Amino acid sequence: MTTLTKNPPAAAHKAPQRFNRGRGMAKLGDLRIAMLFILPAMIGFIAFYVVPTVRGVYLSFTEYNILGDPEWVGLDNYAAIAKDSLFWNSLAVTGQYVLMNIALQTALALGLALLMHKVAKSTLVRGTLLLPYLMSNVIAALLWFWMLDYQIGVVNQFIEWSGLSRVAFFGSEEWAIPTQALINTWRHMGYTALLIFAGLQAIPHHLYEVANLDGASPFQTFRKITLPLLRPVMVLVLVVTVIGSFQVFDTVAVTTQGGPVNATRVIQYYIYQRAFTESDFGYGSAIAVILFLILALVAFIQMKFLRGNESDLD
Amino acid sequence: MKRTLGAIAAAATIALSLSACGGGNTSAEAKGEINYWLWDANQLPAYQQCADDFTKANPDIKVKITQRGWDDYWSTLTNGFVGGTAPDVFTNHLGRYGELAENKQLLPIDEAVEKDNVDLAAYNEGLADLWVGQDGKRYGLPKDWDTIALFYNKAMLANAGISEEQMKNLTWNPQDGGTYEKIIAHLTVDKNGKRGDEAGFDKNNVAVYGLGLNGGGDSSGQTEWSYFTNTTGWSHTDKNPWGTHYNYDDPKFQASVDWFAGLVKKGYMPKLETTVGASMADTFAAGKSAINAHGSWMIGQYTGYKNVKVGIAPTPAGPEGTRASMFNGLADSIWAGTKNPAASVKWVEYLASAACQDVVASKAVVFPALKASSDKAAAAFKAKNVDVTAFTEHVKDKSTFLYPITDNTAKVKGIMEPAMDAVVSGKAPASSLTQANEQVNSLFK
Amino acid sequence: MNSTTSRAPLPATARRRRRPLTARRMVAWALLALAIAVSVLPFLWVLRTALSTNGALASQSASLLPADFTFGAFKRVLGLQSPAEAVAEGGSGAAINFWLYLRNSIIFSSITTAGAVFFSAMAAYAFARLRWKGRNAVFSLFLGTMLVPPIFTALPNFLLIKNLDLLNTMLGMVLPYVFMTPFAIFFLRQFFLNMSREVEEAAMLDGAKHLRIFFQIVLPNAAAPLATLALLTFIGQWNEYFWPLLVGSQDDVRVLQVGLGVFKSQSPQGAPDWSGLMAATLISALPVLALFAAFGKRIVNSIGFSGIK
Repeated sequence: MTTLTKNPPAAAHKAPQRFNRGRGMAKLGDLRIAMLFILPAMIGFIAFYVVPTVRGVYLSFTEYNILGDPEWVGLDNYAAIAKDSLFWNSLAVTGQYVLMNIALQTALALGLALLMHKVAKSTLVRGTLLLPYLMSNVIAALLWFWMLDYQIGVVNQFIEWSGLSRVAFFGSEEWAIPTQALINTWRHMGYTALLIFAGLQAIPHHLYEVANLDGASPFQTFRKITLPLLRPVMVLVLVVTVIGSFQVFDTVAVTTQGGPVNATRVIQYYIYQRAFTESDFGYGSAIAVILFLILALVAFIQMKFLRGNESDLD
Repeated sequence: MKRTLGAIAAAATIALSLSACGGGNTSAEAKGEINYWLWDANQLPAYQQCADDFTKANPDIKVKITQRGWDDYWSTLTNGFVGGTAPDVFTNHLGRYGELAENKQLLPIDEAVEKDNVDLAAYNEGLADLWVGQDGKRYGLPKDWDTIALFYNKAMLANAGISEEQMKNLTWNPQDGGTYEKIIAHLTVDKNGKRGDEAGFDKNNVAVYGLGLNGGGDSSGQTEWSYFTNTTGWSHTDKNPWGTHYNYDDPKFQASVDWFAGLVKKGYMPKLETTVGASMADTFAAGKSAINAHGSWMIGQYTGYKNVKVGIAPTPAGPEGTRASMFNGLADSIWAGTKNPAASVKWVEYLASAACQDVVASKAVVFPALKASSDKAAAAFKAKNVDVTAFTEHVKDKSTFLYPITDNTAKVKGIMEPAMDAVVSGKAPASSLTQANEQVNSLFK
Repeated sequence: MNSTTSRAPLPATARRRRRPLTARRMVAWALLALAIAVSVLPFLWVLRTALSTNGALASQSASLLPADFTFGAFKRVLGLQSPAEAVAEGGSGAAINFWLYLRNSIIFSSITTAGAVFFSAMAAYAFARLRWKGRNAVFSLFLGTMLVPPIFTALPNFLLIKNLDLLNTMLGMVLPYVFMTPFAIFFLRQFFLNMSREVEEAAMLDGAKHLRIFFQIVLPNAAAPLATLALLTFIGQWNEYFWPLLVGSQDDVRVLQVGLGVFKSQSPQGAPDWSGLMAATLISALPVLALFAAFGKRIVNSIGFSGIK
């Protein structure tokens, strides 16, 4: 399989020729048929992603309150953003959230996946852990808003019963971001664990047997076999969760709305506030462009650093 | 993964108000179906009856009422303006209408009001004037109003030996808080049962706070602080409506806010951080606070709680001996893009008439704008054993001031929210508001 | 393949190694139990709240049992309670057209899921199995859409739907999702990349065309990941809130998640109808739970893109 994937045999080269019939089409490979295959996706891609994105980029160079016509202002918005302390604050807050969320979620999910792999292959267990994922972000956030409430939340009730003092999960500046991260971790933990679990399942068992025979310790096995072979899955998980984390919005919007003071004014929420609550769409678009560039950079680094396109299995 | 995809879309429309593609084929005749929106579900039955009565009197016009919760109301509405699907008539708020009028989303109704001889003097004083825009045109007819009063837990008051008479005659000043602070302190109880004004009171372990806290109050402080800051002669803006200069830098205001933040430091009021979450009313019902300053639209909420007996007292009198309450009023406005202006006007006038406002009054949920109907509402509340004089008194005594109406309200709120939060949470002194005020006023240059 | 390997008799050495781990396994089970508790307990709290009288919740916040037990909240969600009764329980008196919203939700989620999965599978096949110039560049572009902040595209998309005169229509709600989702393409491409080429090539040698290969070989072989992706997409669409709110706010196309909004606070500074909201959460999750119960086993077993098992 390995060789087949990496070096398609002659047969594969011939196939398109036969298919296309025409001479000289070989260079084009499967282009025509590929076009047919991606046509529907391409329509959606262009109409609902490319065109609006291009429009958004254009608007970032304008002053636009959505009421009148956009007015070209060149780089004014960007210059203003550079001096906007709330923007830098939102970057810091978002960064804090992403790090916390990713660290928590990945560590917990990896741990859970290993637990499932080692002790509980039961579908029921895995299904149960997936339950929180069935809830929408908005509802999950509202549910925790209710349960973690300082005065009448059940969690604080338990905290008090255990002799500790109540915690202002959403209200205190120290807790606000960790709480947001915890909620999202709660919802996605089981799902991420299952992704990783699937990756674990795919690791050929004989490798472990060999390692066992060689007398490797469980830790060595984990480090030398599990982790490297898990890499493609981990890359998928990390890329998706990191990007998702940067876009955190719903949970903030239905709970803290940026507060206390500016503690949870994450970048998406700040964009939303500027563009939609305060009708400064040009400015909001400019921040969105910057966010896009940051995300692209992060994704690029991740892919390069983790070599996500290759699998050690091949 | 694409979870936020639509997420923001939503909100997308909050401030969105593209040119109303309205007009078109407007029928001069008042007939057909008109759409009407409101946000308060508690008022739906009353307005449904108004609509039924209206159709009975005008068989050619049908009114379709849609209720949408406050959280989604404005985004969906603006969305409707952009998309051309907005309702013909909708409940409008003072905090929003300036922008809507400026963006030509509202239909001026001066002509009709004049032609149909709507008696603007029949409304409670000031309410009708609120709905005249900066351009001098009228964009709505008043439907109801609200003021601020103190909801208190009767059992806690009795336990503390405070009489209802005392509650009715509270005084306040920014220096020592007057008798208002005294009873707040006395109603505060720590975990060991010590009261806030007793020796050994543990301010870090409070079981019941004398005064509940709703939040920092952002730019208006409607229920949070305006009921005392405005007794000192301070007002939000240079003039109202349509002021162009805010006064958060006034030492009088800052002293009042310092006093307010001081209540937290003394342990008499919950920390701001603990108020993010369940509403202040729920917290009150849970027995965590003895007094809550809140608006009249919350009467139903407070009196609806099981196991809590609620009394209502007027806000304290300020240093000059007078009380103060923000006077907010709602109105029904017509969307400029309506295809049926004639019928819409008819419906708005009906909503603003005694026929409909008396129906609303009889349900005892809010105070209708018409003086006569307000009295009927008070009577209806009384019949439900709720004494609402604390709210109506403000209007009778003319101790109200209007909700600050200016341009840029959303941006002002955006600046003042974190600034006030920082002060109330004790992270910054009230003098820091001077800088926020500069930011706010630079919006008007 | 997995199941066979895992059930295969362990070599003696491995078996001997297992025994001293008993203490460890207990710890492992304990941790797992903790994770399960954290996942499940909030749902019990949802149930407890849903069975409470809303007006009594705040004053009985220290009780773990329903506060003034009632089925009122469920009745409210199903539209079986009059506004007056609802208000008397401290709930929201707002009208909710439950069965209509349910139907709309099913239509919306099914169409978008079917379209997105199918079209994404086609595209993923082209990206994984066909060789053509610019393939990787186009794929990167598609992937790049995952990086576009959604806030960016919301307004133009809304205006586009408006220009197409599709506001408040099911078609308008469905369009942005139905052609593809970047995640679906990414997910399926990973799977197709790992799929054995042998069968496919054998078919090709027999002169089969790509379309036939795709429909007769690739799709059937990818049934498991397709089902998984479909379920994940369905869950995501079922829970979609803001786009349907934006484009389909009218009653006849309103979906359940938007309809449930009536249980949030109805007036500024008001309190939500927690009981109603929680009852609605449970009821609206039932279809997804049912799907999950029906196909869950298979899906849980094949979640991810674990290639050939």
